[in-house]
Amino acid sequence: MTTAVADAHEQHDDHGPARGISRWLFTTNHKDIGTLYLVFSLIMFFVGGAMALVIRTELMNPGLQFVHPEFFNQMTTMHALVMVFGAVMPAFVGLANWMIPMMIGAPDMALPRMNNWSFWILPVAFGILISTLFMPGGAPASGWTMYPPLVLQTGDAFPFLIFSVHLMGLSSIMGAINIIVTILNMRAPDMWLLKMPMFVWTWLITAYLLIAVMPVLAGAVTMLLTDQFFGTSFFLAAGGGDPVMFQHIFWFFGHPEVYIMILPAFGVVSEIIPTFSRKPLFGHDSMVYAASCIAFLSFIVWAHHMFTVGMPLSGQLFFMFATMLIAVPTGVKIFNWVATMWRGAMTFETPMLFSLAFVFLFTIGGFSGLMLAVAPADIQYHDTYFVVAHFHYVLVPGSIFAIMAGAYYWLPKWTGYMYNEAAGKLHFWLSTIFVNLTFFPMHFLGLAGMPRRIPDYSTQFTDFNTMASVGAIGFGLSQLVFVYILLTSKKGAEATDRVWEAPKGLEWTVPSPAPYHTFDTPPKVRVAQESFE
Amino acid sequence: MTPGDIERRKNVRRTALIMAGIALAIFLGFILLGVLRS
Repeated sequence: MTTAVADAHEQHDDHGPARGISRWLFTTNHKDIGTLYLVFSLIMFFVGGAMALVIRTELMNPGLQFVHPEFFNQMTTMHALVMVFGAVMPAFVGLANWMIPMMIGAPDMALPRMNNWSFWILPVAFGILISTLFMPGGAPASGWTMYPPLVLQTGDAFPFLIFSVHLMGLSSIMGAINIIVTILNMRAPDMWLLKMPMFVWTWLITAYLLIAVMPVLAGAVTMLLTDQFFGTSFFLAAGGGDPVMFQHIFWFFGHPEVYIMILPAFGVVSEIIPTFSRKPLFGHDSMVYAASCIAFLSFIVWAHHMFTVGMPLSGQLFFMFATMLIAVPTGVKIFNWVATMWRGAMTFETPMLFSLAFVFLFTIGGFSGLMLAVAPADIQYHDTYFVVAHFHYVLVPGSIFAIMAGAYYWLPKWTGYMYNEAAGKLHFWLSTIFVNLTFFPMHFLGLAGMPRRIPDYSTQFTDFNTMASVGAIGFGLSQLVFVYILLTSKKGAEATDRVWEAPKGLEWTVPSPAPYHTFDTPPKVRVAQESFE
Repeated sequence: MTPGDIERRKNVRRTALIMAGIALAIFLGFILLGVLRS
């Protein structure tokens, strides 16, 4: 194994990374493109976070304080679009780019030039989307769900919104094709499918989901575009169209999209918990089947987002029970993580802390999801802050904590240096305290009837809103600790090749930092595994 | 380049085209659904 890596490294002494900006513009190297994705997602995380702080500052007290209601609506819409398509999804694609080829023993992604395109489309898409803030009529303000007929009242920004969503979809589909092709064709000999690490498995399933649903979103927004500019009436009741059909199509995309943002998080956590429990992952194969089940079920639950449109009772029952069924494979995963930790020699470095918080807090988000699945109760919860609390628990201490965990876990492999562990733990504790302070009170607000997407509210909601706003500001400031850790990441001790005490997988057999080219000669998986045990 | 490499390239291209074809079919399929339903 080590020989194979060394040989490959020697062959490439003559063409390492290019110098200057051209390295980043024209790179086809999976590690460079992974870095680009991760940096882009961090920038978008702060852009989307700034929008969240505008929302929370306005909601700190009842009454209109700082921004016009129109601008408030633009902020809710843009915050969601930026966070979903600009921060969470690209962060996982960045981790995939960095780690999947190294985990399966491939020299690079199967389609490296398309990989470059997949990334560079994204800044263009978000440049277009963010530019709408400066257009007459402002940015889109109808919510990220873009429901007609409201979205058709968007000003000059409308076609730019549609075009940017098309570009984001194109980027995602190209990235997903690349990941599927890489995993299916570029694995090292002896890396059988069921031997693949969980992060690779969850990404393979996620990539299939992306291929299946991003074209659905593209179709939906294309129909919006033709309704607005070409005289069609797909969703316009006046012309014989059906606005509810848009909701069905959107959520046929939207629900699998939720799993696109959480399955890779499951993969990251499934890598980290065994390492810091010093035990193999409990029930690896059952984790694969559970992830596949979740992916399948994600296609048959979409209408639980729209119980209030007025659907037949049989439809409500079907979508209610199908949604509840998702708790079964998700429970399998949670119990497998707990069983992995059971009697393990656990230590609590920053990646493990974030992973543990993920297991606890994601489960809270899962349980509130079950509450929302109950059709008669959902009539009460619908469009309240309870929904906001639910999906933020799934996405912030869920997806984003897993991204943070993965970043800390693999950072020494990327940079060759250990990060500042004390600062990492400070980042973790501040984030965990403030994330709960922000989102937990929203459950109570929702149950008490506070509607979402409003800039003003009745005075009885003040206390919980103030708590949430203080929490949000604290959470935002806490992320500056992460930036500090990144900026000082090369000041720590030199990392060993294995970095941690008991990691498993091919990525830990290459030097730290990982050479620019790895595995030009396919590694022998069995030899690598035996050398670990 | 070994025969194995050539075979792998063919497989890469075939898998990528199949996936792109599926994505295009889903895109057009949903627009067709919209046409039929409206």
